[in-house]
Amino acid sequence: MTGDRPLVLVLLEMALLVLLGPLVTGAIQKMKARLQCRQGAGVLQPYRDLIKLLRKGTVQADTASGFFRSIPVLVLAATVAAGALVPVVRVGPPAFPLGDALMLLGLLALARFLTAIGALDAGGAFGGMGASREMTIAPLVEPVLMMVVFSTALTAGTTELGALAAHRGTSWIVAWHAADFLGFAAMLVLLPAETGRIPVDNPDTHLELTMLHEGMLIEHSGPGLGCMMLATHMRQIVTLGLVAALFFPALPADSAGATGLLLGAGAFAVKILVLALYLALVESSYAKLRLFRVPQYLGVGFACALTALALRIL
Amino acid sequence: MSAETVHTIIDDLGALLLFTMILIVAAGQIYRAIYAVAAQSLFIAVAGAVLATATGNVDLWVIAGITLIVKAMVLPWVLHHVVQRMNIRREVEPVIPVGATLALAVLIVVVSFQLSASLGSVRQAITGNALPVGIALTLTGVLAMATQKTALTQMVGLFASENGIFFTAMSVTQGMPLIIEIGVILDVILAALVMAIMVLRVRSTVDADIADLDRLRG
Amino acid sequence: MSETLLWVLPVVPAVTALLMLTTHDRRILSAIDVCGSAVLLALTLVLAREVASGGPRAIGLLRIDDLGLIFLLLVAFLTLAVSIYTVGWLKQALAVGNMKSELLRSYFALVHAFVATMVVTVLADNLGVLWIAMEGTTITSAVLIGYHGHQHGLEAAWKYIIVTTIGISFGLFGTVVIYAAAAAAGLHGGAGALSWSAIMKVAPTLDPGIVRIGFIFVMVGYGTKAGLAPMHLWLPDAHSQAPTPVSALLSGVLIKCALLGIIRFQTIAAAACGPAFPAGVLLVFGLISVVVATPFILAQHDIKRLLGYHSVEHVGIVALGLGFGGRIGTYAALLHVVNHGITKALAFFAAGKAIARYGSRDMRVIRGLLSVAPIGGTLLMLAALSLAGVPPFSIFVSELLVLRAGIGQGHWVAIAIFLAMVVIIFAGLLHHVGSMVFGEPAAAVSREPETWSPLLGMMLLAAIMILLGLTIPASFDGLLRRATEIVR
Repeated sequence: MTGDRPLVLVLLEMALLVLLGPLVTGAIQKMKARLQCRQGAGVLQPYRDLIKLLRKGTVQADTASGFFRSIPVLVLAATVAAGALVPVVRVGPPAFPLGDALMLLGLLALARFLTAIGALDAGGAFGGMGASREMTIAPLVEPVLMMVVFSTALTAGTTELGALAAHRGTSWIVAWHAADFLGFAAMLVLLPAETGRIPVDNPDTHLELTMLHEGMLIEHSGPGLGCMMLATHMRQIVTLGLVAALFFPALPADSAGATGLLLGAGAFAVKILVLALYLALVESSYAKLRLFRVPQYLGVGFACALTALALRIL
Repeated sequence: MSAETVHTIIDDLGALLLFTMILIVAAGQIYRAIYAVAAQSLFIAVAGAVLATATGNVDLWVIAGITLIVKAMVLPWVLHHVVQRMNIRREVEPVIPVGATLALAVLIVVVSFQLSASLGSVRQAITGNALPVGIALTLTGVLAMATQKTALTQMVGLFASENGIFFTAMSVTQGMPLIIEIGVILDVILAALVMAIMVLRVRSTVDADIADLDRLRG
Repeated sequence: MSETLLWVLPVVPAVTALLMLTTHDRRILSAIDVCGSAVLLALTLVLAREVASGGPRAIGLLRIDDLGLIFLLLVAFLTLAVSIYTVGWLKQALAVGNMKSELLRSYFALVHAFVATMVVTVLADNLGVLWIAMEGTTITSAVLIGYHGHQHGLEAAWKYIIVTTIGISFGLFGTVVIYAAAAAAGLHGGAGALSWSAIMKVAPTLDPGIVRIGFIFVMVGYGTKAGLAPMHLWLPDAHSQAPTPVSALLSGVLIKCALLGIIRFQTIAAAACGPAFPAGVLLVFGLISVVVATPFILAQHDIKRLLGYHSVEHVGIVALGLGFGGRIGTYAALLHVVNHGITKALAFFAAGKAIARYGSRDMRVIRGLLSVAPIGGTLLMLAALSLAGVPPFSIFVSELLVLRAGIGQGHWVAIAIFLAMVVIIFAGLLHHVGSMVFGEPAAAVSREPETWSPLLGMMLLAAIMILLGLTIPASFDGLLRRATEIVR
């Protein structure tokens, strides 16, 4: 099979995403701190947290089954696998059969499902509540994400992200079709929900009763918790990468060779940073929504995505 | 600018207008609805400017300017002023769940596109998607008015509706006659002022929202 | 000469409105009121003579033809009747405290501004101007409806301004769409492409699909203003809460002006996509209006609301006449516009006097009107009989003609529904009015003698109502025939 992205490149990209994941979280935290006139922790803080956690021992609830121990590994594996599907430094179809955007969303959903199962398995009250809430929100987010993907995929005739991004080529906002605007709007609404941030979730605390994601992690400890945290960072950068692939696909330069790869990586970093800045801005300027308000908030994204789809088809 | 570019830009602005419309329908707070309708008017003014550059029609510049000043600045300011004077509860009260309203709004968009897709020859007379977007905006504005029971949100819905008409009117190939557009805008301002006065008057006499009064029946 | 008259006509009530702002004195205000209306009527008659001899006239955005002339005559004539009625009504309203003397001048100014916008509506050749004037009537009359300043009045005014403004935006959308169709058909030259007479010239070449969409939007829009069901929601509230003279203007003239708008677009639509389509739409709205109004008329206790719902029914009948179409149907519809305008104004006047006398709008309270106010009671009875469609009054004639048109076209189902509803309403209305006019009045009712000016206004209308029932003057008949030719 021929393709623009050989196996080595895909694996490299995946590793890059795993390495950069915590950095994005750190950057968002730093930007948030600056926006709120605080000094804030350094951008490398998530790495330090991870290292600290990996060194610690594990404590497990009495009620938890043996399955609980394997949950973090499975979640991390699913999320990292999802990372392989996002084009980073170069667009174009992969040289070997690889999943598409639907596979990516499926893997993220699987990770989410495993996280919830783990939280329920541990038997804690917080975990159960977090899981039930997460499962209330997830069905509202995932179909909409899928619709956004479809609304862009319709023009390219493929849902494979690399090929899709290549088809979109170097188009910038000027060349956007009307549906792209609405799809992007839907994506902007959904991003905080998918990355577990304000106004849907609050990543900074697991003490409030309003939290979703952090509640599910509360029973994990030591290396397990580290894996879960890394999976969260990974999910965030994968989601941002998905947005970048769908809406800001490629560099204008005909990238080939080492310089092309470097340029691609640089462009990717810029795209991710811009989206991260958006997340930081949203987190700083909005308050957490009451849980019962969340469906209404996500409804805006749903309406936008559906309209985008309608615009594309009609 | 080539006809193709103008076509694309109008389509894109149409999408942005639909987005603001969705925000208006889903707005949980009256201020957000007001900002959304102001943004919508701003996009309409931009559309007017684009069309003016493309067609060289000086009237459209005037219309774009008036739209910018009146609909994107003055009217939102009036609404803002009324909200502050009334010192009302900030949350709007939907009659039916917002989700249902949003679903209806999307349905309206789909139907409008379906409707104008059946009209082949209109494509030459009206630029881009302006006709379906205009229909959708007008109907969704009515929807917003019907599903929210405060006077201010009803006014916002009304302005959004008018915006839809303006968008279509601008995009008719030759543009509407200037005198007519000015007359229409004048009417809109007067209507808004009369409504604002009524709202404040009722608020000052019986401390209720005028749209909430329902003594007259049968 | 007559071209000048065209723009002088709307200026007359506008100037009258401005003059009102110069004084506070009730007598002077009333004098200006009557004089302004009389001048308007006189100029209208002059214009009518010119048009009858020399055909349609146009200047700029305004144009008068025989069709518009019918409505213009109705506007001018009812304005004068209202002015005369207002003289006596106002004295009484001030005494009771319904009107405040410091607000009088703005009341008069608004009434004449309202009339001015209606005159523009009738004279407009440009469809955009038609819309602007229509929205102008909404704004001026909304303030008038809430003029008493109490909660109910403001509620009615709010409902009115919201419902009709949103409705009329549909009308604007329809106008834009039809303008786009005209522009696509190659009509050039800015304002010219919105001119009704210019569009009519190219109407057969317009794209039928887009004109259909436009006509439906216009029908909903102007139909709201005309009070066609199911867009009539504002009408009973507004008519019942407005000051009586304003009710008479709303019901007698305003909804007729909206009908003129519908007729203008109907002619365009008929030329572009065949007469069957607009006729079908009009028939549907007409039937819905007649059917919807019936139960509300039967169950009503508030006399002004009763008359409001009655307007819904009669607008429905006009729509039916237009929908049946043909020479007879259109003729009948135009005649019914005039007949209903005059009769309904009379009914509102008489009802207003009765309400003032009894201090209530509840028909269960008003008893034995004939024994306390013989002339007013008789006039109310006459108006009610005419509204119900009893010969020899004018409405009987036009309803019969509508029926005749329907039979001619073979719309049997529509006719069956129409007849059934008219019979039911006939019974209901006579029951309501009979119990008001006859019987023993309560002891507390004021028995003071009737004042001359309202009576004069009412007599004037009653005389025309009876005259049109007995015979249609040749000149008026000619006018109606020429207008029918324009619509057909």
